Amino acid sequence: MLPDDMDAVFQALAHRDRRRILDLVRNNAGCCVENLCRHFDVSRIAVLKHLRVLARAQLIHSEKVGRRRNLYFNAVPIQLIYDRWATDYSALWASKMADIKYRIEQAAQRAKRKRHA
Amino acid sequence: MPDTEKSVFKVFIRGSIDAVWREITKTDTVQKCMFGMRLHTPGLKPGAPIRMRSPNGKITAIVGEVLEFDPPHRYAHTFRFTNLDDPPCKVTYELKEVTGGVEFTLIQEEMARGAKTTKQMNQGAPLIVKTLKSVVETGRVPFGMRLLCFIFKIMAPFAKKKQRSESWPL
Repeated sequence: MLPDDMDAVFQALAHRDRRRILDLVRNNAGCCVENLCRHFDVSRIAVLKHLRVLARAQLIHSEKVGRRRNLYFNAVPIQLIYDRWATDYSALWASKMADIKYRIEQAAQRAKRKRHA
Repeated sequence: MPDTEKSVFKVFIRGSIDAVWREITKTDTVQKCMFGMRLHTPGLKPGAPIRMRSPNGKITAIVGEVLEFDPPHRYAHTFRFTNLDDPPCKVTYELKEVTGGVEFTLIQEEMARGAKTTKQMNQGAPLIVKTLKSVVETGRVPFGMRLLCFIFKIMAPFAKKKQRSESWPL
């Protein structure tokens, strides 16, 4: 991945609304711009602008079907950034550490809910 | 919600469109980006059968039929794992020349929602795409793919009966 491509991905990810768009598209593959707009208070123009930034970074793939534009999440750029820093061996241990973090946090949340119940 | 899923994997490859096209259509040697399997077919054209077989040809892991063949831009085929009973899905490869290289898109669709095939395809696709990029750009096969090719090799003797190539003639 060249520095320019990487800049595009980091720039695209560095905005809360754009990350939210990625979440929405990933959970609802093939959704259209109108579906997305329903989740945002900002204008349709602003959502389209975010989509352009995401498309430039190749994080969103869009397909035109008639008058509709279907959106799909493309995970490959994030995978390439991960590969850039995680070596074959560190990846294994980093993923184990992350697992421990998720598990402990989940357990803490469950305990908290139990206390409130 | 439709009962099938579709997913898209896209990458920019610094290389010639012909080099990328050859990697996914060659039959004279194994395809590193397709988990080291070898493509067997009587000739890539719409309607022709395809088989993805182990390097020694004894095991057939994937079977399908060519739907579209438009070198070097578009190739689509049906896809089914021989060890699973899921219905066939559709795989499309799109190659587009852009400044400095090729935009490669892998589209997987008509996958039954929640099926094992769907899960395996979505797990395998990122590895296929990044191996293709690496092989065309540097000639190297990433570690993850080399590891999987090795695992498939040692697992070959334990393949199910229905995965044997005799069951999938051309």
